[in-house]
Amino acid sequence: MAEKRTLLAVIGDENTTTGLLLAGIGQISNSNTELADKNFFVYQEGKTTREEITDIFEHFTEERDDIAILLINQHVAEIIRSKIDAFVNPFPAILEIPSKDHPYDPEKDSVLKRVRKLFGE
Amino acid sequence: MSGTREQVFPTRMTLGLMKTKLKGANQGYSLLKRKSEALTKRFRDITKRIDDAKQKMGRVMQTAAFSLAEVSYATGENIGYQVQESVLNARFKVRARQENVSGVYLPQFESFVDPEINDFKLTGLGRGGQQVQRAKEIYSKAVETLVELASLQTAFIILDEVIKVTNRRVNAIEHVIIPRTENTIAYINSELDELDREEFYRLKKVQEKKQQETARLDAEMKAKRLEEERLSNENKESGNNEPLPESSVPISTEVLVAEQEDDVIF
Amino acid sequence: MEGIYFNIDNGFIEGVVRGYRNGLLTSNQYINLTQCDTLEDLKLQLSSTDYGNFLSSVSTDALTTSLIQTSASEKLYQEFNYIRNQTSGPTRLFLDYITYSYMIDNVALMITGTIHDRDKSEILQRCHPLGWFDTLPTLTVATDLESLYETVLVDTPLAPYFKDCFNTADELDDLNIEIIRNKLYKAYLQDFYQFVSHQVPEPAREIMQGLLEFEADRRAINIALNSLQSEDIDAGLKRELLPELGKLYPVATEHLAQATDFESVRVALGQVYEYRDILESGNLEDHFYKLEMDLCRDAFTQQFAISTVWAWMKSKEQEVRNITWIAECITQNQRERINNYISVY
Repeated sequence: MAEKRTLLAVIGDENTTTGLLLAGIGQISNSNTELADKNFFVYQEGKTTREEITDIFEHFTEERDDIAILLINQHVAEIIRSKIDAFVNPFPAILEIPSKDHPYDPEKDSVLKRVRKLFGE
Repeated sequence: MSGTREQVFPTRMTLGLMKTKLKGANQGYSLLKRKSEALTKRFRDITKRIDDAKQKMGRVMQTAAFSLAEVSYATGENIGYQVQESVLNARFKVRARQENVSGVYLPQFESFVDPEINDFKLTGLGRGGQQVQRAKEIYSKAVETLVELASLQTAFIILDEVIKVTNRRVNAIEHVIIPRTENTIAYINSELDELDREEFYRLKKVQEKKQQETARLDAEMKAKRLEEERLSNENKESGNNEPLPESSVPISTEVLVAEQEDDVIF
Repeated sequence: MEGIYFNIDNGFIEGVVRGYRNGLLTSNQYINLTQCDTLEDLKLQLSSTDYGNFLSSVSTDALTTSLIQTSASEKLYQEFNYIRNQTSGPTRLFLDYITYSYMIDNVALMITGTIHDRDKSEILQRCHPLGWFDTLPTLTVATDLESLYETVLVDTPLAPYFKDCFNTADELDDLNIEIIRNKLYKAYLQDFYQFVSHQVPEPAREIMQGLLEFEADRRAINIALNSLQSEDIDAGLKRELLPELGKLYPVATEHLAQATDFESVRVALGQVYEYRDILESGNLEDHFYKLEMDLCRDAFTQQFAISTVWAWMKSKEQEVRNITWIAECITQNQRERINNYISVY
């Protein structure tokens, strides 16, 4: 099942998304139709609601089957932390990344939390 | 060690089955234990690498974010919107390769770039093109780091699950299946012993009864003989009489006892 | 002798602009800014400058680089609009010309958004405030360049610039938009240059010609360099994009158009004294900014010239970039790069 997952997806603030798109991860499927489906989502501080993030997260993790890795800004992940903690499937891999204004904090990372718990720290 | 055991009839055949089962369980246990150890070793290795990679990611992403700051300094505007709108096809993709660790398939993401696709070749044409180019390169490197990290993390999640399952099996075999089989074997043995003892006792009782019977017959015979002797003494002329049949009965009893003792020892 | 009548129409705005010019951050103030450890410190330092308490309503937690940038730009726009509203006649036209470049950006942005069916209000937010015109929102109805021109742009000052674009594009896609944008910009620069040469009196004429030539050269060099990796732009197309004025024109411009690798671009630039060493070391953009700032600073040495408005405008834009850069370096902990700003005052 992993073979057709070739894309990276991103949920992040404008700067992070722009940078990652510059690296060339962006893809718009069915670009000329009504169903245009982007693999990136720009989070706007104060504008994007929790529901929107949850929706797009579910869309990327459950509905789309071509995403191998989902990159998400840690401060955005923080908003839907419970959902991320609850997500245990190996695919897509969810990776929390820092953003320009929010440096990376290993304490909050869902995966690292599991690592710590496992080693009883 | 609770006394749980399987619901079986304590027969010799079941005993044989149980013994085979115990042997199998022991073998399975040592195999699984070894698998679990191999996986755990790998797992610890990966965990350490995740920790390192996450730290590295922090640095890499920071450098990358800064290259974007350089772009906005050079272009004097935010290119974010333009970039978002120029996206059409992914240039940077990943391929999943499978790696086999002790029978567990771990996916390993490999990034590859399609050089045909370049959605942003004109971004910054009039201004800041070099910076955009640089930011592209830096971010591509950063994404490679991210992909690496994602491989580790996926391996981590899969291994975590597999190790849990394996350990559960190891523990189940060690603490449930093996003791239960042993209990069953012990039960069957004790039950068979009990049957043997009953049998032995019964045979002994039979023997005893037979001896009593023999003794009684002996006594009767003796009395008869005495009677006959007395009768023959009374009429010496008729002195010839039949041979005594008494010896056959005790001999057969002897044979039965011997057989039975063989059985007890088996 | 032109100076005699200058003050009748333009004395006030020149006064205001020179006042603004004195409010530009000096190198000492920049040094103070670079010493800051947090954005909060930066805000405090800025409050003692001409920026005053432009960030006073922002709490410490909400303070971000982009917010500082937005607020600083906001102040620039206000000041510019204030000056613009004080002017009349050719001076007003001159200031309008300054805004046309932002209009071009906005038109390009709107077209890009339209192609991708983006929400209109979302795009309008991103438009440059100085490039705003009343029919901008209606741009979204257009699907091809012809209808775009006929329905909307014909009423804007940009209309003449479009006349060169029609033979290329019937369908709008991203490549075309970037090309259209650069073609428009070329036409705009040339038109502006014509306007300056014929309608603006000395000494502003000479200064503005110099500044516009520089702008044209900068674009030419950038386009020449940045189109090297792209096969879609051949020499002919490049020739249509490179502005036909400036120190590079015509000889070096032609060479740039034909250049296919970095080395030939360098050789082409070697013919012009001003740009001889520009590719040798350091960052190209930094060199350009530095040159631009030098020109702008020199522009203030002449009195009775509306070119000061342009010079002030560009200096202020650079200042906003500088502040953003410093703020960026502070938040991202890149202190070794913090002195990369351009300060000439």
